[in-house]
Amino acid sequence: MGFLFDGLDAEAYDRTYDDRQLVRRIIGYFQPEAPRMLIVGFATLMDALARAVVPILISRGVDDIGRTQDDALIVAYGAIIAALGASAWLFNLIRRSLTAEAVGNVVLRLREDAFDAVMKRDLSFYDQFPSGKIVSRVTSDTQAFSDVVTLTIELIGQLLLVAVLLVYLFFVDAVLTLVVLIMVPLIVGVSLAFRKIARFTVQHSRRVRAEVSALVQETISGISVAKTFRQERAIYADFLKLNRRAFWINLRTGFVFSGIFPLLALIVAFAMAAVVYFGGLRVQLGALSIGDWYLFAQGVALIWFPLTSIASFWSQFQLGLAASERVFALIDSEPRVVQRDNRALPNLRGEIEFRNVSFGYSDRERVLENFSLHIRAGERVALVGHTGAGKSSIAKLIARFYEFQAGALTIDGVDIRALDLSAYRARLGVVPQTPFLFDGTVRENIRYGKPGASDAEVERAARQIGNGDWLKSLSDGLDTEVGERGGNLSMGQRQLVALARVMLQNPAIFILDEATASVDPLTEALIQEGLDALMRDRTSIIIAHRLNTVRHADRIIVLRKGQIIEQGTHDQLLARGGHYAELYNTYFRHQSLEYIEAARKADAAPAA
Amino acid sequence: MSNVAKSEFTVANAYRYDRRSATRWLISHVMRYRWFFFATLFLYIATYSAYTASEALIGQAIGAVVEPESLALLPTIALSVLGLKVLDAVLSLIGVLSIEFIAQRMEVDAREELYANLLSKSQTFHNQQRVGDIMARATEDVQQLNGMINPGVAITLETIIGIAVPLVFIATLCLELLLVPALFVLIYIVTVVRYVRRLNPVVRRQREQFGRMNAGLEETISGIEVVKACAQEAFERRKFRMAASLFRSFFVRQGYLEARYLPVLFFGIALGMAFLHGMHLYRQNLLSLGDVVALMGIMGVLRWPAFASIFSISLIQAGIEGGRRIVDILNMETELDQNKGGYAQPIKGEITFEDVSFGYGRLHVLRNVSFTIRQGQTVAIVGQTGSGKSTLTQLINRTYDATHGRVLIDGVDVRDWDLDALRSQIGKIEQDVFLFSRSIAENIAFGAPEATQEQIERAARMAQAHEFIMGFKDGYRTVVGERGVTLSGGQRQRIALARAFLSDPRILILDDSTSAIDSATEDEIQKAIRQVQQGRTTILITHRLSQIRWADLILVLDGGELVACGTHEELLRRSPHYRRIFARYDVALPPLEIVAAD
Repeated sequence: MGFLFDGLDAEAYDRTYDDRQLVRRIIGYFQPEAPRMLIVGFATLMDALARAVVPILISRGVDDIGRTQDDALIVAYGAIIAALGASAWLFNLIRRSLTAEAVGNVVLRLREDAFDAVMKRDLSFYDQFPSGKIVSRVTSDTQAFSDVVTLTIELIGQLLLVAVLLVYLFFVDAVLTLVVLIMVPLIVGVSLAFRKIARFTVQHSRRVRAEVSALVQETISGISVAKTFRQERAIYADFLKLNRRAFWINLRTGFVFSGIFPLLALIVAFAMAAVVYFGGLRVQLGALSIGDWYLFAQGVALIWFPLTSIASFWSQFQLGLAASERVFALIDSEPRVVQRDNRALPNLRGEIEFRNVSFGYSDRERVLENFSLHIRAGERVALVGHTGAGKSSIAKLIARFYEFQAGALTIDGVDIRALDLSAYRARLGVVPQTPFLFDGTVRENIRYGKPGASDAEVERAARQIGNGDWLKSLSDGLDTEVGERGGNLSMGQRQLVALARVMLQNPAIFILDEATASVDPLTEALIQEGLDALMRDRTSIIIAHRLNTVRHADRIIVLRKGQIIEQGTHDQLLARGGHYAELYNTYFRHQSLEYIEAARKADAAPAA
Repeated sequence: MSNVAKSEFTVANAYRYDRRSATRWLISHVMRYRWFFFATLFLYIATYSAYTASEALIGQAIGAVVEPESLALLPTIALSVLGLKVLDAVLSLIGVLSIEFIAQRMEVDAREELYANLLSKSQTFHNQQRVGDIMARATEDVQQLNGMINPGVAITLETIIGIAVPLVFIATLCLELLLVPALFVLIYIVTVVRYVRRLNPVVRRQREQFGRMNAGLEETISGIEVVKACAQEAFERRKFRMAASLFRSFFVRQGYLEARYLPVLFFGIALGMAFLHGMHLYRQNLLSLGDVVALMGIMGVLRWPAFASIFSISLIQAGIEGGRRIVDILNMETELDQNKGGYAQPIKGEITFEDVSFGYGRLHVLRNVSFTIRQGQTVAIVGQTGSGKSTLTQLINRTYDATHGRVLIDGVDVRDWDLDALRSQIGKIEQDVFLFSRSIAENIAFGAPEATQEQIERAARMAQAHEFIMGFKDGYRTVVGERGVTLSGGQRQRIALARAFLSDPRILILDDSTSAIDSATEDEIQKAIRQVQQGRTTILITHRLSQIRWADLILVLDGGELVACGTHEELLRRSPHYRRIFARYDVALPPLEIVAAD
């Protein structure tokens, strides 16, 4: 509806670009649409003129009717008024169609640029911003921007009409025009005040609605508990209290919104009566014709509504600028991971060396300091340590997801910054801690690692994991729909799909951040079998959470605060009784069957 | 009403609404405030009469002032215009506030009715509904009712009254004058209906495409690690461009349709034709000059009601849709009967499945499952996700009824048990333990509000929860859940165990597939579970080796079938499925004895 109600619940945002910069940038995006926008401008003007001339013509007709006996003139008046109405419609049609095209194109370009900018960023960017925020910048902010552009064009059209009418009225009778103009500051002032009050009440309403939603959500999620313990009455009483409070708060908001137009109509009523009275006086003085008097009365009715939009325009416009600023800030930001060469390594062996590497996610805190590690081609390495010890950072640097600050990282003796990143990553198999699946079938998800792979290849890769037995537990085998984010599959099944994806990729380097979530023991056995197959003959770096994986590693690297403090095999390290032994007692002990058996015997002994 | 008998919760003196259909339900909600509704109706007629009369009066005044002797009348006329216009504003204010009141009441009443109804529904109902679905009903759909009344119904009333009243006034000027406006109204109705019909699908598809574009982007960004690791940026870019271009084409198409809104064209033409008609009649001395001016003023009154209706049609449609979805929920019956007066004895804890099958439609979840659990045993159920583990436990407390075969507790078919007696003695701890946004003490004592602090603490100690609770600043008064402290899975589980100690069920079903925890917590949970399983039959759906090893009986499920059942030692010898679990542990397995079938 009117602009008066728009953008009331928007949040304030910080701004760093100034208005002029932004407007220039926006105009830049509209440049390719220049021919369209020219026609839009012309059509807007013509539309306003046609609409302004209709009441003027009627007023002339009212004056002429008494003077002339010419029937043709009367017919002409009717026909021209109708024709003007039709042409106003036509110009409006042209204006709106072309605006839709132009704005549609600009927003599309803006979205594409924003998306490209997002894709160029390294993972530090994604750590910084939650995915929802990024998405809303690419889609919702561009949409908000487009809404404001459309509204602005609309408003310009309405104000043009007001301007044309007022100029005409001023030339007809300057004094009476001043009477009309008295209502302008009143209307604008009341509209501004309204927006201030409405903003306040809307915020309260939004808050109470969120509260109601939270309460309903809690009840519905916890209904089984409430029912088991028969606590319905207490819960209902809580709800009733909040629901009634919500009523009063929403009623207040509703009254403010519903009341504003009648209130404005009250102002218009006085303006109208004034025009009738003073207009009548001036007609009798002979200073005004009857037709013009009619025109003034019509004028009051025609101009007050567009005036309310002026009140809200500035804040609307600022919102649009803020939205566009967020989009531009996204487009302008620079990625930190930058390659300085394009070297391909066709026969990647998978030898990795960290030499005195320093790395931190932010400038304040270093995760790795002067870190050195040599991993031989084909070696199975398990990284263990408490949270924050630097395990994942090592894996992520190898994947070149982040830029490090000092030292050198080489792959097969070549600086990682000099590699053709796309070719290198194609030879890298990465399974993140929570395996991510795309909406689609299992087959499509496995193929994601190697888009050209044939069905037979996909199937072979899947069968290499745990003999392919895991496919039996899927309702449609490889054609099972995994659902949004793999929601139709269990955590364990998702891991199996992710392993098969990597298997198909046949990488030289395999990086696994083992899941911490527990998986049913049967699936766990399948995953372990899959890992055996994957780790054969390739460099494997595992961030380990499973006792089994640690046990089967060639070398365990024990990390603390970004430093290697111990390394060796499971038995060697356990025998040493150092930090690894402590980690074992914290994380791995309960996964040991011997430990469980021993505890069981100990428990059974006194009873026997 | 028939479903009151089956209800598990009722509100005393609740207002009764007509739930026979969505429309009747909506009308009965409005009719609860019928005096407000009739007041609005009356006020709208009055306000449009005042508005139209003021326009007519201005016309008459202009005509009258031509005569010099009417100079004295001018103040009276101006004051009358003022009076009518003020009356118009004031009446419309009261009218709109009155319908606003109905709109807000409607939202609150409907939510209250739905909420009470949800509480009265059985567990079975809630198990079958998705939380998100019900949430949408109780928040969005209910809010849509609000918007349906105001501005939806309010504008529709305005449209009807705002067109009818001016037409009556025009008719009083001269009946023949009705020709053009009446023709316009006819064409207007036809074109608006056509317009809305063509616009709605485009708007809907545009909105859906926006959702798809958003979801696709969200997916790409959430999976960015995979995208980058697989070097698939170009593929994702193509995907996004396609989605964004498609959105653009819907956006532009909507623009085209809105641009071609025909009623504006016809109103423009009608204005010219009405003027022509008016002047023609003036020529024939059938109308005064004042009448012609009045006619043009009244034609102007038609403008707003005619154009506002675009908003109201879709609002009312959305409201009726929302109402239908709410009424569907309200009228949904729970198919399990309470079986009041059925078998009701203290449960001893023997559970028998006799050739039990269960499925929805053609989908089989469980097939021919038979086993017996003796009183006081601890049983571990092992199987992959989707093998039917949870369903099996849901047949025990009659969340569902077996489609074939029998489930017996203490030798009595669960369908012969009094439902209340049965359920109140079977405790269940879900995988994702739910805690209310209340204090820890209240959560533990949720089922026994009269429990003393000592009893609560004793239960917490037995559940190995006391120590971590005391670790919080406010101890047992710490508020948890959405509006309080977030607890880890292991901590929530121990609170639920404490709850179980207080309510003391005879059969305890525990879904222990929570996320991994460290060894110390594991040891504590083990201790707590060993405590709780004393003296009751305990069924564990578990991922943990330790619990499998501690169980008296292990059931191995695969694809809805019970493929093995026995003790650890028996299964190691007999079941290749079960052996696979232990194959990678560095322990010697006994030789596999090939028995008929696994």
